[in-house]
Amino acid sequence: MEAIKALIIEDEELARELIKNYLKGTDLIEIIHECDNGFDGLKAIADLKPDLVFLDIQMPKLNGFEMLELVDDPPEIIFITAHNEFAIKAFDMNAVDYLLKPYSKDRLLTAISKAAERIRTQQPSAKKIHNLIQTPITEKMERLVVKSGTRIRVIPVEKIIYLEAEDDYVMIYTEEGKHLKQATMKHFEDCLDPSMFIRVHRSYIVRVDQVVQLEPYSKDNYILKLKNGATIKVSRSGLKSLKEKLSF
Amino acid sequence: MLNPLLKVRPYLIAYIGVWALIAIIHILILTLFQGFSLGLAFTESLISNVLLAMIGLALWFPVFFSRLEKENVLNFIFKHLFACALSIGLWVIVSYAILNALFDKHFEYKQFLVSSLPWRGGIGALLYGAIILVYYLIINYQNFREKTLRETELKALVRESELNSLKSQINPHFLFNSLNSISSLTMISPEKAQDMIIKLSEFLRYSLSNKDEHLTSLRDEIVNITRYLDIEKVRFGKRLNVKNNLDEKCYEMKLPGLILQPLIENAIKYGVYESLDQTDIELICTCSERNLRVTIRNQFDSDFHYKKGAGIGIQNIRSRLRIMYGRDDLFSIVKSGNIFEVTIIFPQN
Repeated sequence: MEAIKALIIEDEELARELIKNYLKGTDLIEIIHECDNGFDGLKAIADLKPDLVFLDIQMPKLNGFEMLELVDDPPEIIFITAHNEFAIKAFDMNAVDYLLKPYSKDRLLTAISKAAERIRTQQPSAKKIHNLIQTPITEKMERLVVKSGTRIRVIPVEKIIYLEAEDDYVMIYTEEGKHLKQATMKHFEDCLDPSMFIRVHRSYIVRVDQVVQLEPYSKDNYILKLKNGATIKVSRSGLKSLKEKLSF
Repeated sequence: MLNPLLKVRPYLIAYIGVWALIAIIHILILTLFQGFSLGLAFTESLISNVLLAMIGLALWFPVFFSRLEKENVLNFIFKHLFACALSIGLWVIVSYAILNALFDKHFEYKQFLVSSLPWRGGIGALLYGAIILVYYLIINYQNFREKTLRETELKALVRESELNSLKSQINPHFLFNSLNSISSLTMISPEKAQDMIIKLSEFLRYSLSNKDEHLTSLRDEIVNITRYLDIEKVRFGKRLNVKNNLDEKCYEMKLPGLILQPLIENAIKYGVYESLDQTDIELICTCSERNLRVTIRNQFDSDFHYKKGAGIGIQNIRSRLRIMYGRDDLFSIVKSGNIFEVTIIFPQN
């Protein structure tokens, strides 16, 4: 049987060494590359097409989950982290396994054999980004990542002015420009802090402190004027949530 | 500042009640012992007592502005003698003038009025004394209540900050990541693994030693911080660069134990965790005879705004400083560009 091609994405050198040392002497797996951050990891996944990725979560700039969001055709993932609080999210993303540091060699080998089983039987690997980022997320989003061509941009939610639905995508308007991301409005409505953002229309989510004024547009219809000059439509239910939030 | 009799409704009701009682006694004296008619007794009682009750309300001001705990006894007595002479004199003269005009034809009464003037002055002085006594009692009672309230609040704060510092003492992710590094080192370099186990054990022992309840020397704190940073250096390698700028003559100065630890952890969290490149963490200690000054400076990525959790640790330190030193101005944060700097001043007694 051909060895599984694996990639390590982990920011601590000793943690990478540990994986490699544990795997010495097994021919089941071949470590084809190592990355110490999410950006390099993303590139390596695209270039090298590994079967399996050992992925840390806490990493600079782009964490493991954010990186995975940007992968179009994700390989099998084994999360290795000291944080136990992300396990549910990880399994929702269809991860093969979730190892808590420190872990034993046996534990790692068990995870690998699970992954090998999946790869052998060609089970659907990590769900496509589309489904994957719709998993319920308990904590509020602080930043989001978008990809345009080969460039990756990390946008803190404080920089978002408003969001507009465009078919299967969402256009994110920020102070610097606009970015397209494959996601649903529902996803953003669930993940963004409700004290900062309001869904004012089927197609619009707006940051509360960007609102300048609300004007009647026709019967039952209103439009919002924003600080950057943009105007967006408000639906009847949107008006209701606006009234609740801004108490007028 | 506002008269408590006017501010607190039950006090006002009691005040009016007492004056009603005095007025009734006044009427009884005039009718039973002096033989005046009820109408006259009622009128005189009403005029003189309402007048004195109103003056009594104004007596709050001399009380408010002269406190025994703030000035010397002679001064205090002199002020009140003066206020008493002024207010009671005014009361006697005004009530005399009104009653005299009102009962102009009643010769017998006018004679009584003149002869009773010294009595009125005496009784007025006694009432003056009673009124200011009540005022001082109210002030003391209010101070006492405020003090107990503040003490309870302080106790709750101490307990809460103890709890928080207990919780923040050992960050589980730090611990598990360090153990993972040790696990890795056992295969690569057992000596280094052993070294790290010892450092980690010493760090844990120090953190669990209740040092945070007392003042401790800067030397002990620096030793512990160095252990912590050494452990993190094993994990992060070149990404963490520690610069120390310590004045050795400050080493025996005192500060609350483990108060710097959360700041160092923050510097690592927001500096090293979020950076791909080398992050400098700088520890600066300077001192004068009266103050020890510690600054922790780190680089951070100014593109991101960190909110979550960042405030709690700092809040905790602020409240510990307030409890320990009773001051709010010891802690300061400066953020400029990508440099984050926290400075704490520890007064030495």
